[in-house]
Amino acid sequence: NGTVIPIGQSLDPLPMHGPELGLQADDIEAPGIEQDPKQEVLENKNVVVQRVHIDGLGRTKEDLLTYEIAEVFRAKNLIDVMRKSHEARQKLLRLGIFRKVEVVIDTSRGEDALPNGLDVTFEVTELRRMTGSYNTMVGNNEGSMVLGLKLPNVLGRAEKMTFQFSYGTKETSYGLSFFKPQPGHFERNITLNVYKVTGQFPWSSLRETDRGISAELSFPVWKTSQTLKWEGVWRELGCLARTASFAVREESGHSLKSSLSHAMVIDTRNSSILPRRGGLLKIHQELAGYTGGDASFLKEDFEIQLNKTLFWDSVLSASLWGGLLLPIGEKPTSIADRFYLGGPTSIRGFSMYSMGPQSEGDYLGGEAYWAGGVHLYTPLPFRPGRGGFGDLFRTHFFLNAGNLCNLNYGEGPQAHLKKLAECLRWSYGLGIVLRLGNIARLELNYCIPMGVQSGDRICDGVQFGAGIRFL
Amino acid sequence: MSLAAEAFVSQMAAAEPWPENATLYQPLKEDQILLSDCASSLAVQAYLRMCGLPVQVVCRANAEYMSPSGKIPFIHVGNQVVSELGPIVQFTRAKGHSLSDGLDDVQRAEMKAYMELVNNMLLTAELYIQWCDDATAAEISRPRYGSPYSWPLGSILAYQKKWEVRRKMNAIGWGGKSLEQVYEDVSQCCQALSQRLGTQPYFFNKQPTELDALVFGHLFTILTTRLTSSELAERIKSFSNLLSFCRRIEQTYFEDRSS
Repeated sequence: NGTVIPIGQSLDPLPMHGPELGLQADDIEAPGIEQDPKQEVLENKNVVVQRVHIDGLGRTKEDLLTYEIAEVFRAKNLIDVMRKSHEARQKLLRLGIFRKVEVVIDTSRGEDALPNGLDVTFEVTELRRMTGSYNTMVGNNEGSMVLGLKLPNVLGRAEKMTFQFSYGTKETSYGLSFFKPQPGHFERNITLNVYKVTGQFPWSSLRETDRGISAELSFPVWKTSQTLKWEGVWRELGCLARTASFAVREESGHSLKSSLSHAMVIDTRNSSILPRRGGLLKIHQELAGYTGGDASFLKEDFEIQLNKTLFWDSVLSASLWGGLLLPIGEKPTSIADRFYLGGPTSIRGFSMYSMGPQSEGDYLGGEAYWAGGVHLYTPLPFRPGRGGFGDLFRTHFFLNAGNLCNLNYGEGPQAHLKKLAECLRWSYGLGIVLRLGNIARLELNYCIPMGVQSGDRICDGVQFGAGIRFL
Repeated sequence: MSLAAEAFVSQMAAAEPWPENATLYQPLKEDQILLSDCASSLAVQAYLRMCGLPVQVVCRANAEYMSPSGKIPFIHVGNQVVSELGPIVQFTRAKGHSLSDGLDDVQRAEMKAYMELVNNMLLTAELYIQWCDDATAAEISRPRYGSPYSWPLGSILAYQKKWEVRRKMNAIGWGGKSLEQVYEDVSQCCQALSQRLGTQPYFFNKQPTELDALVFGHLFTILTTRLTSSELAERIKSFSNLLSFCRRIEQTYFEDRSS
């Protein structure tokens, strides 16, 4: 008795000391369990999990964890115990409240110990009560200091409170958010936000300050992830310069938007940046004005992406975006609600958001748009740094097309489709893509814009792009 | 406006004649505009009528935020945007329209001094009564100011404006004044104006100047606007030559055109 099995050493296929689960979750391939003769013996041996201990708990409430570890009790043999413990460990790490979780399986002791009884002990290390970060950012003629505070597990049930404050030479922004998952169903959660964000949009000569509150409810349904959200935003628009066009000046002032929105996402891709297979479907709809406020509109947009691996590690990827903004009532739509297109993250070869309706060089955005892209991603030529640094890079050939315009809703759907199909903007080119972690990517492209309409601002030749969402 | 911007505006302006489609922007006339903005807007309208420059008046709920200086009114002429009476006078002069060209240097200095007096006394008194007198602020200014916006934005903006004006009043030393003292200041200002006007038709004899436009804008608006108390209008009514001055400008520049 008393044989402690330190899992990390005895069973390689179950990496108990694996990498921390964070944003890289989809990088980790599920380990297959190899069957060798020694383990078969263990598999046949019936065991009973008598007790599960969690050591190292401080402010975490135990009732939260019982949901996560309940499965361990159902294990019938030793392999099963190990597999279920491993799953429970992954679940505990996903809560984002522990820095480290280790599992120790031991035979039961004490008076009521069964001969085949096992005790499972999770040794956890909680995250600190508060973590902070400090960054400085230098952008276009602006420097800013970003302070971040994170309080993980603030009430003991995996709630998370984050605060971000950015103090810049021109603008100050802040945001406070509170996140609470349902115990046992981490994907079902609510998020509350309070924020103030200021943005400058030189392509429209516009400055926008948003002060808002929002409440968000996320839950999975079948293979989809659904989000319902209410948002109340006080928006203040102003001209960036005295020389701003009068069309932008007319949009200046305050407005209140209260909107209900719904988003649905199905994501079967193996990675969100440079995926090799799988698809993405995202549908977002927003109804503003129904719950009060000055802005009334219905906004629909979608995003589809399909990926397929071809020969020699190359990947063919196709994406399609589209959106429609319908004003409700007589009031025209606001410049802050309309769609923008163009730039290194959407239709390459054009300047950032510099296509479609404009006035005196200020882009006013459109009420309908579509954009499509086809990419062929290949590893770097001659594959330098293969298996390491070189794998972060890809070369790609692309073809982008799209259109952005305003619709006259009296004309009917036929006329709308015609309008979106004529005066097409398109471009092609090739470039290098660098993957940054699993959240962002950088692109350096040589672009050749082809379908250019009068008023569009193009970027012929080398274009650099950085972002999270790419066409 | 900075000196460089002023020079730039006047140079640009000189190049083009006054267009037919010049527009003056002010807040909504029925539900939103407040005494002080109405007075400033009327002063500019009177000035442009005296110059014989046509302008179309357009009411917009966001006129204050559209204005490059944040002040009412502003005019949109060609592709130029100019706000407030002072810069507008300079702008029209650059285009070759001026009312004060006939004055000598002494008279011009005197005119500027009286315009400063009106801005410092009448305009400030209007702002004081609108935002610092609690009854007027609660019954008239706040509801009207926030009327174009939905709840709770209307109230937020109205309170923001109130604090902004109160801060300004404290900075210029009006914060501690009582309503009675403000009425007394208005009376003194009118006394000075009345004495300067005397029996002349306009402040500088036969020809109106921008001073006449400014004084008309403020006095006429105070006389014709209903506030919680009629005390302000009563103070002006005791100066009969100012009353006939207002009537004269109204008849000469406003009634003839509309009939």
